[in-house]
Amino acid sequence: MVRTAEKVEDLVDPTFLVDRPWVTIVWDDPVNLMTYVTYVLMTLFDYSKERANELMLKVHNEGKAVVSSGRREEMERDVQRLHEFGLWATLQRDDQ
Amino acid sequence: MTTPSGFTRHGDNSFEAAFAQSEREVLINLAEQLIEILAERIDDVHSDPLAAMVGITGHDSPPDDDVLLRLLPNAYADPVDSAEFRRFTESVLRDKKRAHAMAIRSHLLNSEDSLVRINRDSAGAWLGAMNDIRLALGVRLKVEENSHDQLELLAPDDPMRGVYAVYTWLGWLQESLLHALMDDSEE
Repeated sequence: MVRTAEKVEDLVDPTFLVDRPWVTIVWDDPVNLMTYVTYVLMTLFDYSKERANELMLKVHNEGKAVVSSGRREEMERDVQRLHEFGLWATLQRDDQ
Repeated sequence: MTTPSGFTRHGDNSFEAAFAQSEREVLINLAEQLIEILAERIDDVHSDPLAAMVGITGHDSPPDDDVLLRLLPNAYADPVDSAEFRRFTESVLRDKKRAHAMAIRSHLLNSEDSLVRINRDSAGAWLGAMNDIRLALGVRLKVEENSHDQLELLAPDDPMRGVYAVYTWLGWLQESLLHALMDDSEE
């Protein structure tokens, strides 16, 4: 006879099935030009000038902005490309 | 003899900038310093050519030097994840940055009359390298703590005064290329 666990949580991490995406965050930096940040976001992510500009302003005014989200491997690639162009970027699991 | 100017667009895919001889020399020198400082991270620990070939540098701790740390930053807040990521990616990042700096150095060395002519593809290397040099100068100038007003007021004999002048000039040059590129994309 198979003994069932009293609590499912003892067996399975309760967040196991929740597939929270990963996010790439760009942080504010006193050196990078605003125009440059907009240009890099347009070029790397194919964002429109309006969208890129909006994200740049969020970084500038709020100190950071989520610029992309998806699978961890994809976010690692995004962070690497942002680092290549000198933007200060990190990735993490979406905490929303 | 050309008058120094920032980047301007000529036709669909040509961007030109004229440099004073002194500006050209300063920029070549800074590009070479960037190449050199990034080379400090090329490690001799790794003698395994296969590991080197797939980009495993062996470096999993962040650089001690603040300039290198800004150029090769951590990808995660968590130090363990960050170390793992760095071990597999840092050498690729470093090589790309060095390639950008080498490209602008070579454009400047090969420019006639200090007139540099580049296309949209090389513009990426120029933007990346100019930005990396500004990031490096910014760390030395401590732009994080010092306001621009404070930096404007540096004493004439302060060695940082010249550094700040180059830093602002490069910002202006970078901005000129960005405007030349972005005006184009609006058409």
